[in-house]
This record gives sequence, structure tokens and C-alpha cells, in this order.
Amino acid sequence: MPEDRDWEVYKAPPTRTPVLEKDTSLSNPVHLFQAAFSYVLDRPITFVREWIERQQAKNKFYYYHQQFRRVPDLSECMEGDYLCFFEAEAQWRRDRMVDQEIVAIVRERFGACQQREGPNQFQNCAKEMEQLVQVTKAYQDKYGELGAHGNARTCLMKQKHRMMEERKAQENADQ
Amino acid sequence: MAAMSLLLRAAAAWGARRAVGGAAGGARLRWPSGAARLPGTVAPVRHSSHGKRMFIIKATSFYDSRFLNLLRFYIFLTGIPVAVFITYVNIFIGQAELAEIPEGYVPDYWEYYKHPISRWIARYLLDPPEKNYEKAMALLDVEAKKTELRLMELEARRLMRARGDGPWYHYETPDKNLTDESMKATPDN
Repeated sequence: MPEDRDWEVYKAPPTRTPVLEKDTSLSNPVHLFQAAFSYVLDRPITFVREWIERQQAKNKFYYYHQQFRRVPDLSECMEGDYLCFFEAEAQWRRDRMVDQEIVAIVRERFGACQQREGPNQFQNCAKEMEQLVQVTKAYQDKYGELGAHGNARTCLMKQKHRMMEERKAQENADQ
Repeated sequence: MAAMSLLLRAAAAWGARRAVGGAAGGARLRWPSGAARLPGTVAPVRHSSHGKRMFIIKATSFYDSRFLNLLRFYIFLTGIPVAVFITYVNIFIGQAELAEIPEGYVPDYWEYYKHPISRWIARYLLDPPEKNYEKAMALLDVEAKKTELRLMELEARRLMRARGDGPWYHYETPDKNLTDESMKATPDN
């Protein structure tokens, strides 16, 4: 069964519904529906789920997130050292996957903020929007137009061109 | 109830045949259909579900239904055991929980997967990813050494051909003491 997301991460602000004073003697039909839902659906399903979890708790086992050692980067490899190229390429691909996940998380945070705030989003979500703008700009600068066949070498060349243009712009600004 | 109606219908047919036989044999008053009858006598039955039996002419569905039956049979033959097995694994064994790697502990390569069947496949059927990595690196190493040696050989060949002072491009010529120049000793030969 799919797990629920972590409720602590995107906490909705506490609701501020006022307490109603009852002025009729009729019982609220909503309580009837809630009781029906609880007895017909909620309790059996919870019972089955807890039974399943008791079976699974008898032998627990764990999984981990793999930690990879850092290896020398492509810019630190000697020319013709194909083994170094291979390891640097593998590391670059792992780093790109991590960066894609980071962008996805920041985007999700912004979406959650929008959903939570509703009409107040333009004022209250400014921090998340700023973060998203920065993160996507950084991702675009680093991995942007490398294409489907982009690898560590093309990324390094892109960085080199970026630094050259920065230097040129600085020289033009100095003059 | 169906048998009862069949019986009644058979009795009605017999009665009709008797009535036809009677009318052909001699003039006899036949009971009108709406008159009251004695108990036990035959009456035309009017159950609405049994109208006149029709032989409906339509295209054969034999091949289609045979195909669908066979399809269901062969899909469920392995599908149901696999579904039961996967349900058993999901309910009684359950998925792994995420944990921090404890200090000083190096997890085995199958302990990075969540579902127990994926862990089993990674452990017993597939090779560890480190092995694939090392195999790729070994291949690259061999090819890199071959490339290096080939480039060095080409360079050596080029230099020896150009300078002419190496062991290659060194063609053996016969000893000059072996040549017989007696024919060329005098100018008039």
C-alpha cells in the first residue's frame, strides 16, 4: 500500500473555524454519517492494516541509501587516463541525478506553498519562489543545453566557456 | 416449473392432435378456447417467458469464445500463482524500512533495495554493481594499454624509417665480398 507523505514537512496552518452553539434539539445528521463511515469503512480497514503490520513486524529488515566515495573530477584527470575519465563520468551522472531531485523538491515545496496559501500566495510564498528561481537558474547554467548526449566533458566545456565569458565581461566592465 | 410447463405443452400438443384427428374423422364440437374446463384437462399455456421457439441465425461465435477461453486459461495458469505469491510476500514479509547506515557497517549491495523480491533478485540472480563497474574499468584499462602501445609503435616506425638508425627498415644485403666482378674487370666484355 503506498505510504502517506510525511505530514510534518508541509504543515498546514491551524484552522480557525468558530465553535458553533447548537440552538435546535435535532441531532446533527453529520454525526450519523461519521459513525456510519467509522463502523463500516474505517474500523475494518484499520483492523486489517494493523493485523498486516503485526505480521510484518515479526522480522523487520532495513534498506539504506548508498553513499558513494568522491573520486577526482574530470578537471583533475590526466590526459589519456581513461579510467579516471570513466570514474569522473559516473560521478558526474550521479551528481546530475541528485541535482534533478533537488530541483524537483524545491518545485514541490513551492507548489505546496501555493496550494496552502491559496489567494495569499504572491505575498506569503516569496521565499519559496526566490529559492525556486535561484535553483532552476543554477541548474540551467550547469546542465542546461547539453542535450541528451551530454556528458561530463561537454559540461566541463560549457563551464569553461562560461568562465571565459565572465572574464571578458569583467574586462569590458573594467575598461 | 419448466418441467411442468413442458408437460403441459406436450399434453396440449397431444390434445391438439386428438382434436385434429377427431375433426378429420367426424364432426365434433370442440371446446371453445375461452370456456370453463374440468380440472385435469388441457389448456393452452401462456407463460410469457416461453414464446415460440426460434432458431436464430447469426455468425458463429465458436472460434471467438474458444480463443477467449484459451486466453483466460493460459493467462490464469501462471498469473494466479504469481499473484498469490506476490500477495503473500507483500502481506507477510513486507517492505524494508529506510534507516541510516550504522557506524562502521558496510551494507551488502542487496540491502539498498526496498521490496523483498527486488532484494532477492539482486542478491541471488544479479551481479553486484561493483563487479560491473570493475569489469568495465578492466576493459577500458586493456584497451587503453593497447592504444598506448599502438601509438608508440607507430611513432617508433616513423622515426626509424626517417632516421634509418634503428633495427626496423633495415634490409639485409648480401656481403660485398661475395660479388664476382671478374666480368666487369676488363672494359671489353
